[in-house]
Amino acid sequence: MAQGLDPAALLKLPTDTWPSYNGDYTGRRYSPLRQINTFNIKSLTLAWAFQANADAIKSTPLEVNGILYFTVPEQVWAVDARTGRQIWHYRYKSEAGDHIGHRGVGMWGNWLYFETPDAHLISLDAKDGHVRWNIELADVKLGYFATMAPLIVGNHVIAGVSGDATDIPGFLESVDPETGKMQWRWYTEPKPGEPGSETWPKDGDAISHGGGMTWMTGTYDPSLNLLYWGTGNPNPVLAGDARPGDNLYTCSIVALNPDTGKLEWYFQPSPHDTHDWDAVQTPVLFDAEFGGKPRKLLAQASRNGFFFVLDRTNGEHLLTKPFTETNWTSGIDDRGRPVGLKEKEPHADGRLLLPGSDGATNWMAPSFDPALGLFYVVARRVYSIFYYTATGKPEGWAGRDHNLYEESTIRAIDYHTGEIRWSHELGPGESIAGILTTAGKLLFTGDSQGNLLVLDAATGKTLWHVNAGGPMFSSPMTYELDGRQYVVEGVQSVLYAWALPE
Amino acid sequence: MMRSLRCAAVAATLAATGFSQQHTAARGQKEFAQSCGFCHGEDATGARAPDLVRSPLVNRDSGGELIGPVIRNGRPDNGMPALPLPDNTIQDIVYFLHQRVKQAAGSSRVGGDYPIERLLTGDADAGRAYFNGAGKCATCHSPTGDLAGIAKKYAPLYLEERILAPRRGVVTLTVTTPAGEQISGKMAHLDEFSVALRDESGWYHSWSREKVKVEVHDPLQAHHELLGKYTDTDIHNLFAYLETLK
Repeated sequence: MAQGLDPAALLKLPTDTWPSYNGDYTGRRYSPLRQINTFNIKSLTLAWAFQANADAIKSTPLEVNGILYFTVPEQVWAVDARTGRQIWHYRYKSEAGDHIGHRGVGMWGNWLYFETPDAHLISLDAKDGHVRWNIELADVKLGYFATMAPLIVGNHVIAGVSGDATDIPGFLESVDPETGKMQWRWYTEPKPGEPGSETWPKDGDAISHGGGMTWMTGTYDPSLNLLYWGTGNPNPVLAGDARPGDNLYTCSIVALNPDTGKLEWYFQPSPHDTHDWDAVQTPVLFDAEFGGKPRKLLAQASRNGFFFVLDRTNGEHLLTKPFTETNWTSGIDDRGRPVGLKEKEPHADGRLLLPGSDGATNWMAPSFDPALGLFYVVARRVYSIFYYTATGKPEGWAGRDHNLYEESTIRAIDYHTGEIRWSHELGPGESIAGILTTAGKLLFTGDSQGNLLVLDAATGKTLWHVNAGGPMFSSPMTYELDGRQYVVEGVQSVLYAWALPE
Repeated sequence: MMRSLRCAAVAATLAATGFSQQHTAARGQKEFAQSCGFCHGEDATGARAPDLVRSPLVNRDSGGELIGPVIRNGRPDNGMPALPLPDNTIQDIVYFLHQRVKQAAGSSRVGGDYPIERLLTGDADAGRAYFNGAGKCATCHSPTGDLAGIAKKYAPLYLEERILAPRRGVVTLTVTTPAGEQISGKMAHLDEFSVALRDESGWYHSWSREKVKVEVHDPLQAHHELLGKYTDTDIHNLFAYLETLK
């Protein structure tokens, strides 16, 4: 009997199934499971561990019908979600392309969808990992690579690409899950003359080499039938004068029709970015009261240090507030966008930036607890110095950015106002651990010292911790099978599953 | 973060050409400039003809098999003439173009050879005043003591970065136990839950944070705090001053 993914599971909150990278289409990474809660958390124990003997795990596993599927670059594992025993392992050989990390697979029915460092998209049979088809998403020779976990919406496998070391156009592509045939492709840069092209120089090749990679998995609203995706920073990365203008649709949250790839609306958290601050952080969806009225909201804690709330039906701007200290803006314009200080763009003699290039937050997952109305983010104080170093026409990175000092926190943001309800210090260093929240009133995360942490979601107080042997570079997930709730965390090359004692 | 590794990986992928050393970049640049520069710019970034560094064909070429025919046959529809150059010259040009692609893909790797003229926008006198005044650098440092000759020790780019983020600074801790005993030593570990140090004799000790008080002595504390206070002008002035300490 087949144990594939029932498409109806994609529309539910994550309980017995975690069917996609963020757990569900909302991107909240909030589970209704409450078996593990603030009263019994001190009894949390190890249910099992799986040693992958590979690179650090940066993926979030899927859990479907008792099987976990997770990845590192080039490799996919299927592991028994109850016992941690390996079911199968697939390895792809790809010398070309950046092997910096991998976020996981997407699933449709009995099939998995896996991106590779050489920018291919592969479909595997979930029962045994054998390859069904392999298509080229983009040409690795041009500087593309691929790391993200595709999102499946209806009969669309939606895949994004990576690569900002060279000046290439970013895009999002939808393929047929059965055959891999392309259904549509949306490019981050418009063609000359199209709406948005006025935000690029009219002459020259800047607009056709503008970057804007689709590094991370987006979110989806089935009732509006809209995809919400964040796009990457423009190219050449540190060289703004080569591309005067807002550079749409780089560093943008775009709403696309999943059947056609048509752009319905956009909002740009980082216009004309010159600091490697993409806007690919999860566009989290929730329905809640705002300004006294019930609204369909979208919130993003963006890499540039600002928290944004929009109406996701039409992109109407509702709120902009910094969620951490920043030194690069003169204020917020009447469209809710931060206004950058010219002197804080990279210059030949070096400029001190807060946040630095790694960002006030980055790809580590945020979370939203609808019961508490709190948006949680891994917020870092990162200082960097940026140099514009190109002589002649700037190409590629076109400069140097160097980290100077970092400290990390977990912050709880009140979405109504952007106020910080609580901030839990994690100490020096950059935490790269994502966040999971549950109805047990718990927040699962890690720090940069190798500790896994469980915090009280309402107050930020530490309730449980363990030294897991290395810093977590992934985001936690959870599921319940046979009446037992598991929380699974990939820490370096070990997958830990935590539960209450049996 | 990982961007320099990212750029290096991309550069390696793009430049796997296996050329021998006879095709030097210098000769290739001359020949390119001579035959191609008028239209494509002397550095191949384009003029009246496209930017070749960004050209998909150039990026896909591995040994001249794609570029060679374009040079020899031209692109008559686009106004590029045929250039029946000797094979050696074509290979030099191909090599030069591959080098340019590699340079662009690796353009985040800027090191100690970054020209000092581009960094010296500050005023050394203002830097000295900051050193002795608002920066409070003189509290711990001396231009004739620990900083004597500092400008000779580090390449200019690295000196500027080290002012902002020094590398060497040993954190020491003083731990007070519930019994009132005080132990000091070099920090071995400190987080929310545990503290560890090596005492004077070199032995390691650790405690739960719940049980002890910890004082942290970080010699770089002032540097960390200054990051929140410097203006860019302060930094450039300070750098200009330290560059006089030869």
